[in-house]
Amino acid sequence: MECRESRLLIHEFLDGDIDELANRRLQEHLWSCSECRRHKHELQKTIALVQSTSHVHAPADFTQRVLAQLPAPTKMNLVSLWLKRHPFIAAAAVFLLLMTSSLVASWFESDQMLQVSSNDFDQLQVDRQRKVVVVPEGAVVTGDLIVRNGSVEVQGTVEGNVVAIDGKVFTASTAQIAGDVESIEAIIDWIWYQLKNIGNDLLPFAP
Amino acid sequence: MEFVEKRLTQRAKRGDREAFAELVEIYKDKIFQLAYRMTGNRQEAEDIAQETFLRVFANLHSYDESYKFSTWIYRIATNLCIDRSRKKRPDFSLDQEAEGTEGLDWYSRLSSNDKTPEQAVMTQELQDTVQGALSQLSPKYRSIMILRYIEDLSLQEISAVLQLPITTIKTRIHRGREALRNKLRFM
Repeated sequence: MECRESRLLIHEFLDGDIDELANRRLQEHLWSCSECRRHKHELQKTIALVQSTSHVHAPADFTQRVLAQLPAPTKMNLVSLWLKRHPFIAAAAVFLLLMTSSLVASWFESDQMLQVSSNDFDQLQVDRQRKVVVVPEGAVVTGDLIVRNGSVEVQGTVEGNVVAIDGKVFTASTAQIAGDVESIEAIIDWIWYQLKNIGNDLLPFAP
Repeated sequence: MEFVEKRLTQRAKRGDREAFAELVEIYKDKIFQLAYRMTGNRQEAEDIAQETFLRVFANLHSYDESYKFSTWIYRIATNLCIDRSRKKRPDFSLDQEAEGTEGLDWYSRLSSNDKTPEQAVMTQELQDTVQGALSQLSPKYRSIMILRYIEDLSLQEISAVLQLPITTIKTRIHRGREALRNKLRFM
């Protein structure tokens, strides 16, 4: 083996990725070549010297000084921190937010089409031009009658509530309405109506 | 250890400053040491180490958790060190002069425990020689030698830190060793 090759193998040896055959050849060469042997020894001593440099430590107050330089926590961070500390209030707030937003959304989502919800469509007369739903005289509507984007004219009998959303409820002298009559025109009324419904569902014995 | 670090980085990512402080505690000596060996100057090393942690904090959101945290922070610190040495090459020699006086106080404090003054001075001289030999390497070789033999990283880790192929790392380590040998062989 030539010394040039040996020098390369010495480095592979020092990196610990020399294969067995090459290692054996290197050792044989080193045995016979004092120059390469010294070279290897010097390299190993160099590594030992670098490794033996004393370990320096960061100053004692290093961490405090780093933390002092951090940017102030943003509002967002503060809010999320507060929420983490008050999980129940956070949950209640989220609930309220979702509920009102869904109510508001359900108000705006509806377009200007006349919408009628009832169990007995065949009993109703719908005048799409005037946007009026008529319960004719003698007709009997079981259950609630809810009309959206239009008015209701009741001449017959409704065995439930009559609700007109964005419209009015007209009752003729012949009208018989078992439940409540409500006309809802503003968004606040709409929300109030929904809340009342939720309340009624939750508290079945409420008057 | 790696599991703990992963937890800490996840918490720090979410803005938890206590977790970040723990990460600083774990890495401050390693990073300070790297910067000190790169610059040979305590004050500069501290500046670089501080800057490293501030950058870690500012960029936590972009830290990819599939890599080791140590790889990432070593990369930030090494880049900062190399940038600095590029900027201040003109007064490099001045730095080396200042180094001796600055280091003295530090080392004498370190080695004052159980050594006679004579031994302490010997050690000090040796330390200075090694530091001097390191300083004469160009930053790209110096950083690799420090990461390998002072920070004790494997070749694979160094390759990940510097984002260079492992063959390049090996070549540079070979040359770096030869260069250091030329400076230190007579010690």
